Amino acid sequence: MNLQLDRYADLNTPVHRWDPRCKIIALMALIFSFSFIQDLRLIPVMFATSAVLYAMAGLPLSFLLTRMRVPGFFLFMMGFILPFFSGETVLWHLGPLAIRQEGCLDFVLIASKFMCILTVSFVIFGTTPFITTVKAMRSLGLPYILADMTLFAYRYLFEIGENLKTMQTSMRLRGFRSGPRKMATLAALAGTILVRSYEQSDRVYKAMVLRGYGQPGSFMENFQPNYSRGYAGLVTAITVAAIFVAAQILLHSQTGV
Amino acid sequence: MHIPDGILPATVCLGGYATAGAATWYALRKINHQGNPREGIPRASLLTAAFLVASWIHIPIPPASVHLVLNGLLGAVLGYFAMPAILIGLFFQAVLFQHGGLTTLGVNATVMGVTALLAHQIFQLRKVLGASSRTALAVCGFLAGAGGIALAAAAVFTILFSTIPAHLDVQTERAGIYALTLAHVPLAVIEGIFTAMLVLFLQKVKPEVLED
Repeated sequence: MNLQLDRYADLNTPVHRWDPRCKIIALMALIFSFSFIQDLRLIPVMFATSAVLYAMAGLPLSFLLTRMRVPGFFLFMMGFILPFFSGETVLWHLGPLAIRQEGCLDFVLIASKFMCILTVSFVIFGTTPFITTVKAMRSLGLPYILADMTLFAYRYLFEIGENLKTMQTSMRLRGFRSGPRKMATLAALAGTILVRSYEQSDRVYKAMVLRGYGQPGSFMENFQPNYSRGYAGLVTAITVAAIFVAAQILLHSQTGV
Repeated sequence: MHIPDGILPATVCLGGYATAGAATWYALRKINHQGNPREGIPRASLLTAAFLVASWIHIPIPPASVHLVLNGLLGAVLGYFAMPAILIGLFFQAVLFQHGGLTTLGVNATVMGVTALLAHQIFQLRKVLGASSRTALAVCGFLAGAGGIALAAAAVFTILFSTIPAHLDVQTERAGIYALTLAHVPLAVIEGIFTAMLVLFLQKVKPEVLED
């Protein structure tokens, strides 16, 4: 199984060359400023900011659309629920149900924020190799237990996923047909995955210790040979984030939205 | 069960990061007091990945099928490592599969992590009830699995309905919280049964997995 989150990480754009530490701080600030927005008038600016950033990253549109497919189900559910239950101003009657204006606007706000945040998060994780991103987070102060666990889990996630697929195929070939009464077999399947991983972890730990795991300096990482610092980008992104927050506060104080 | 990006206000998201940070700090502190913490990292990491993969197994519930959350089981098996494991698992789900979100990672991790730690405490009751008893193991496994998901569902829907920026009146909010939490009761029972079966399997095949 290959999810290829960072398959475009080797492109050569200013966003790709940006120091991963600055990129994480800058774009996370932008993401949080998006979640601060409650005024619909800021949505076009938010979309424009996300689009410019995505275009600068040089990531293909198909990459975004493919990854939006799964969360699209969530958007569909929100679009199905909110217009019927949120608010009082009725726009249309749809049989016994009423479509309400406030609900439609709530849906537009939530869906827009969702799409923009997701787009910026693809820029963070799609333009740097995942392992480099974790190392950057480590150098920003992520505790070593979390960093080590993230790297280990990422290394073995796909391998264990392949093991599950192989076991499920074997079960089907032996005539297994899933049903509510087969829960014990499915529990044994999950248990086997856990037991295999547990046994493998002992071997992995011994191999890692032999290769120097746990010695000081194993996480020393110099990002500068491969990346430009990009302080200008950091300052720009934080300024844009601050402008979003200030604009929201200003609009809220004027209109009470 | 994971709250996606865009729904919660920024203040709630930041509050979620603060509580998740505090819970993780507490868990890491406990882990650091357990001798050589590095020794447990590969095991906890591989089990984190294994739990994530195990949650992809679909349980057929006619006419559809469900996938399990396994936060209760994770707490039962990993103990204090459950908090970082859940944080990492949710991070992977947000980044790799677009389930949950980056801004809501703190809120989701707090809900799932704290309930996993509670499930761990529930699972420890088996030692009081009888360490070698399969019945005690199954009952505690069921309570950890079902309790983990039920508490998480109640917390998620309470947070969702009380902070969502929508024009819902108090009665609608309350009805929504009750309805969605009650709708998760059958899922909690299924998760409890599955967890009980799984801990019995582990006790039979590899009892070390269940030891602290």
